[in-house]
Parts: sequence; structure tokens; C-alpha cells
Amino acid sequence: MRRLRAIGVLVSAGLLAAACSSGSGSGSGSNSSAKSVVTISNENGALWTCGFNPFLGADQLLSVGFVYEPLVYVNPLQNGKTTPMLATAWTWGAGNKSITFTIRKGVKFGDGTPMSAADVVFSFGLIKKYAALDLTGVWSVLSSVSQTGSDQVTMTFTAPAVPYFYYIADQTPIVPAHVWSKIANPVAYADSHPVGTGPYVVNPCTTANITYTANPHYWQPGEPHITKVEYPAFTSNNTANDQLATGQAQWGSQYIPAIKEFYTSKNPAYHYWFPPTVNVSLVPNLTNPLLANVKVRQAMSYAIDRAKVSTIGESGYEPPANQAGIVTPTFSDWLDSSQASQYNYAYNPAKAKQILASAGFTMGSDGIMANSKGQKLAFSVIDIGDYSDWVASMQVVAQNLKAVGIQLTPDNLANTDFTAALYAGKYELAYYDQQSFGPGPYYELRNWLDSANTAPIGKTAASNYERYINPATDNLIHSYAATTSVSVQHSVVNQLQQVMLTQLPIIPVVEAVDWYQYDTSGLTGWPTPGNPYAQPSAYAFPDMEQVLLHLKAK
Amino acid sequence: MRFALRRLGFFVLTLWAALTINFMLPRLMPGNPALAMLSKFHGELTPQTLKALDVLFGVNTHKSLPAQYVSYLHQVATGNFGISLDFYPKSVSSVIGSAIWWTVGLVGVSTVLAFTLGTGLGIVAAWRRGGRLDSILPPTFVITSAIPYFWVGMVFVLVFGISLHWLPYVGGYYVSTDAPSLSPTFFGDVLAHAVLPGLALVVTTIGTWILTMRNTMITTLAEDYVRMARAKGLPGRRIMVDYAARNAILPNLTGFAMSLGFVVSGAILIEYVFNYPGVGYMLLQAVQGEDYPLMQALFLLLTLAVLLAILLADIATALLDPRTRTAG
Repeated sequence: MRRLRAIGVLVSAGLLAAACSSGSGSGSGSNSSAKSVVTISNENGALWTCGFNPFLGADQLLSVGFVYEPLVYVNPLQNGKTTPMLATAWTWGAGNKSITFTIRKGVKFGDGTPMSAADVVFSFGLIKKYAALDLTGVWSVLSSVSQTGSDQVTMTFTAPAVPYFYYIADQTPIVPAHVWSKIANPVAYADSHPVGTGPYVVNPCTTANITYTANPHYWQPGEPHITKVEYPAFTSNNTANDQLATGQAQWGSQYIPAIKEFYTSKNPAYHYWFPPTVNVSLVPNLTNPLLANVKVRQAMSYAIDRAKVSTIGESGYEPPANQAGIVTPTFSDWLDSSQASQYNYAYNPAKAKQILASAGFTMGSDGIMANSKGQKLAFSVIDIGDYSDWVASMQVVAQNLKAVGIQLTPDNLANTDFTAALYAGKYELAYYDQQSFGPGPYYELRNWLDSANTAPIGKTAASNYERYINPATDNLIHSYAATTSVSVQHSVVNQLQQVMLTQLPIIPVVEAVDWYQYDTSGLTGWPTPGNPYAQPSAYAFPDMEQVLLHLKAK
Repeated sequence: MRFALRRLGFFVLTLWAALTINFMLPRLMPGNPALAMLSKFHGELTPQTLKALDVLFGVNTHKSLPAQYVSYLHQVATGNFGISLDFYPKSVSSVIGSAIWWTVGLVGVSTVLAFTLGTGLGIVAAWRRGGRLDSILPPTFVITSAIPYFWVGMVFVLVFGISLHWLPYVGGYYVSTDAPSLSPTFFGDVLAHAVLPGLALVVTTIGTWILTMRNTMITTLAEDYVRMARAKGLPGRRIMVDYAARNAILPNLTGFAMSLGFVVSGAILIEYVFNYPGVGYMLLQAVQGEDYPLMQALFLLLTLAVLLAILLADIATALLDPRTRTAG
């Protein structure tokens, strides 16, 4: 989901040309890394702050998974398949309005102190007390967290909360009460020397590099096999890519232009996998009278050549999306193929024109369709100018729409200007993707469609930027939260697909991916398309812990 | 003395104006830090996070602009710039402190080197104008100073780093095998890493010094007092240095002072290309992340450094050239 910034393209393009002409003489540096060491190459775009506070957004991806652990690992790529971590078992209570976790025995923190149910209760109490630390908003549904018995923690909810399991069990790190209770202001706490139950301790951190070494008290016998993880701070895409291409780093998590020439051709042991996660969509502002017309949105969906956007805009790395809003192949088994073929939104400009004509639009002499009142189908689309791939994609979409008589003027904004306009609803069309990803298509669809996530124009909307409000859809979303039955969940998601296909609140164009490159010359156990045991990017937390626990030196 | 006081008065006035602009500018930008933070972590934060960030940064606790100005001036006076938003929860002074020395070392040394070498070569070129040095150097450096420095940096990375493996080209030192210390190995490590970025800066900036020095030097050499010195039979070296160069260097010196001041702003693209842990890239990041406290501290540092450097250059010029001390 990370994007390449324009400055990166400029410099990378130069270096790419360089790397190609210099041939493959740079040799393999992988022998320089000791056997059980992994070096991560992830263009962070900044130097490290050496803060590891697991409740701060900026530090989470460096601490949750490496140092701190969740109760349960939930794999978003395998429909929420669970792996018990600090909790060994859990049961939902009556009406799915409470859940009881059994906390693992014999787990110690990095300083040798035993971890107990009291630490779990403390951690949840901490993010209740300091709302700024509650990054996933678990206390918007929780009503209490308390210890029951010696090793059990019971949580109660204000409403049925099945989908919140992911946020509570997977996304909330457990911290030691004996350390954090002494911290006067946890919100301003850097946590430079984090103490957690995870497989690694920070030893040491500088602004240029973080070294993680194995936690001697780690609870999983024999783990971690990888005794040292090096995580250098890369401010630019080209240096980070070069470290991968020369084998100095084995685990990559960024965009590489022309990946075949630059990376995989250098060594047969180099591979990549970009699993799709969320849709990148054309987001209409539904308060605009022309865009509120579903036929206009249908015409747009037919007019966009998604395959071409994928090839030209995204170098083929990000696959075309579908109007049902189900990210494939990640969530293919959720896709209702009968509906998808019934409402077939495959590229069809003739059909788009026909729909516009049936809605009373006629082609003007300037090539733009207009209705009887003379209102033209001419819109501006806001886009993040820094994301060169999105800018290129919008050019393709604009050409596609021009062909059916809809004029699109891309407005490439600075990141903050874009976000401000999008959140406040001050735009006509926007090109964007959801910021969070969950173990199933429901999570993304809920973000887009739940009216609780929207706001009037001028106010900040959390994730329903298009301002879609439909009580029937809201009821569907709530009914999913009340059931643990997979078949009921599937029927709800099918109905949500119908909403997407008939009402087109948004128009998915391509699917954003996780960036991931890996080197198998010295290490085995990497996640692969055949064995997607975790989200593979080094910045995916707490997934990177699963990857590190699976890795072994050859 | 009166001259120095007048200069100082002007310095204080400029400083106040700069401080006020520094306060106003970031507040005229659209968006707010919470939104910027959210866009920065695109893909890693959930919508609920926005609420958490609003609380964290106190975005919705509005403080009036005059009140902000007063607390800003107080902060400036006490050197306390608060907490960085981008590097939250680190203090601005510790964030800058960790990066500034890399920049001062790299850009500072390159600037001094470029100035010394360039001015020296300019003097010699003008003295022996029409000679071999004079016919090669100025045209060469007209070309090199027209090339963008980051492009030179990229070529260096390609040639000396990737192809020839002569010198390291990533970061300030070998991050995984070395750690910051006062040991000679670390020092050597840092030096080796500074060669390529430093050279790229010297090559692209030296031209200006050579050309301006050469041209003013040629004008000066035509002056009557230089002819007088020749007539007196003074050694050529003495005429070149004490008679011509001392006077010709004045415009270059002011330019040098300015560029010394700008050293603290770093060389954004060089730091980017070489992944150098300096302050230039940090400034860019602070602007993009709408990190007002960090941005203000960096701009203030920059303003202060430039103003101070100009003040010192004025004083140095006054020492070298008595004519500038009084109006007449």
C-alpha cells in the first residue's frame, strides 16, 4: 500500500539505467551476512527516532511483532486464520457481546519478569485511560476488561463485536504493567529500551540502524532461529533497492521499478510477491448532483479499462480491481461470481455511452455529454501528486472517460491538501484507497459503506469519504458483527457485493499491494503465494514476527 | 565601534522580522499535523487513528494566534522548541542534535574546501591569465557548476560505488558493522563515507568561486596601485596575494559567508542520494509532515546562521577594507 514518491522515481530511474549498464558484476553480497542474520530493506523515508512505543502509530511497525506481542495472531491473507500467541484459547460469550481469553503460562518479558493476565488487563486499561494510544478504537466497542480466575481475561462489549476480534487480539500489544505503570505520561513516552514478550530486544538503535537481537527469555522453545535482525534507515528508494539487488539485504518491502531487470535477474534466488490488500478506487462525492446519479457512476465503471490502468499506471504490479469490491486473489473465495457475471462491469465503452444516453445525456459539440439542463459531465479528480503511479493511472482513466463523453481533470495535490479535501468532502472525484486492511473483504467494505464512518460536508469523515448513507446497508454491516457463523458472514458479504454492483458507491480501479521481495540463497521459510502464512512486508505488524519465526538459515 | 553597533542593530531587526515570518508561514499552510501524520502512514493506520492523533497533537484545542506567538517567542528565547510531531515523542532539540553534526561536517567541510580551492585557483588563473591553467579551469568549471549536484552524486554512486566498488555510498558509516564512537576506525569509516558526497558538492560549487575570483582579480590587476607595486619591483607573489587578491576577495568573502550560513540547511538531494543522516532531508520531511516545531527550529537555525555569517562577513570586510567602515 505504500507508494513511490516522485523524487524516488527520478533518482531510481537514473540508477536503474546505471544498474543495467553496469551488468551483474556487483556480485552476491549474501555471503557477507552471517548465516542467521536478516537485513531488512524498507524505504522508510526517514531516519529512525529510536522510539518503540507500541501504542504510537510511528513506532508500531518497529516494535509490535519484534518486541511486543499480541494475544492472537490473525492472518489477514488466510481469512483470519488464528495462531495463539499470548492467549492460548478464547471463547465468545452470549450474543457475541463478551469474549474470554485464557492467557499463556510461562511467558516472560525481556527483563525476565513473568507475564500474566494482569499485564493484559493493564494494557487494555492503559489505552482506555489514554485515548490517544487507542489507535484501532477498541474502546469504541469495549465496555470492560477484567481478570477472571488466575489466568483468564474477560472483555465485554457494548454491541456484538465479532469483527473487532482482529483489533483486540491481533492489533493490541501487551506491555508489562511493572514498567508502564511507572510512566507518568505514556503518550509522550519514547520507550527507547522496550521490554516485551516478543522474540527480539533492541540492541542497539542509532538513527541510521536498528539492531534486534534474540530475546533470551523468549517463550517459544528454540526460537527465534534468526538471532539478529538489522534494520537500516533508508531515506531513498534507490539505495534501499540497491541493497537488495546486491544481496546486502534479504528482505525487501518497497517498490522497485522494472523489478525483473533490477532485481530478479541478478540472482535466481531473488523473488518477489505483491499480494493485493485493498482497492484503489475512484471515489465520487455523492453529494454532487450529477455524481449522485447512479447511471453516471455505472457509465464510469464500464468506461474504465482497468487492465490498461494496471499496466500503464502500475507497471502491472497492482492487478485490476472488480466492481464487487472483493480484492482477488487474496479474498477470491468471498467473491460471488454469479453476481459478478450478472452485473459484468468489464470494459465496455459502448455500453457506457448507451447508459448515459438512457439517462438523458447527449453528446455536445465539445465531446462532453450534458443533460437537458445543460449540466456537463465534467469533473475534477483529486489525486496525490507525490504518487507518480496514481498520477499516471489518472491519465489513463481520464482518457477512458473522455472516450465516452465524460471529462476528467486531474488535480494533483500535495499529500496534506489531498487528505484535507478528501476528509472534508470538498472534492468532486478522488482517487484513493482505504488505509486499513482486515482479515476479510468485510473490513474494507465496512469502512467505505458504514454511515457511522461518514460526516457532513465540511466535517472530517473517518473512512466513508464518498458520503454514502443507506440504513439497509448499515443493518447488513451490523448483522455481520453479530455472527461467528461463516455461512452467515458470506451471505452478508454477498449482499454487500450487491450494494457495490447495483449502487456503485465507489468505483474500484486497481488493487493496492503489499511490497515484498525475498532472497532464498541463505534463508528458507519465507511466506510465498503457496504458503501465505502472514502478510509478507516487513512493515506489516505483527505479521513480521510470524515471518521471523518461520525463517531459518539454510 | 559605531559601525559594529549599527550592524548589530540591523541584525536584531532582521532577526525579529525573520522570526515573525517563520512563525506565520507554517500556519498559512493547509491541513494539520494529524492529517499529515495519517497520510504519512498511509496503509498502516486505521480510520479510528485519526481521532487518536487529534487527541495526541491537541489539534482541536485551539489557542489564539497572538497567544501562540507569545509562547513561540518565549520558546525561541529559551531555546526550547518543544516536541517534534514527526519524530514524536522526541524533543526538537534532540532530533536536530542527532543530525546537525553530520550535515555541518559534510556540507561545512565541502563548502570551506570548495571556497579555499576555488578562490586559490581563481587567483592563480587570473594572475597567469591566458596560461594553460586559465584556459582549462574556467570553462571546465562553468560546465560542472551547471550540472545539478544530485546528478553528479548519482554518477559518483554508479561509477565509484556500484561499478568500481572503491568507496562506500550508503549512509554516514557502516551501520551494521560499526557504531558511533570516538575510535579511529569509526572516524576513518565516517571519512570514507563522506568522500563521495563531499566530492560531489565540491565539484559542483567550486566553479562559482573560481570564476568570480578570477574575474574580480583581473579587474583589480588593472588598477593603478598594482601597476605601482610592479613599478616598485615587488615580488610577483606579494603583488598577487597582498595587493590584488586582498582586494579582489571581498565579494567572494560575502558569498562565502552566505553559503556558510546555508550549511545548516544541508544539501537535501545529496543527503537523499547518499542516504546521509543529515539535517537537509529532515527539513524536507518536517515540511511534508507539517511538523511545525521542527520546521520552525530548523528555519530559525538557518536564519540565525545566515544572519550571523553575514554579520561576521561585514566585520571581516571592514577589517580588510577600511573604506566600508564609514559612509565617507
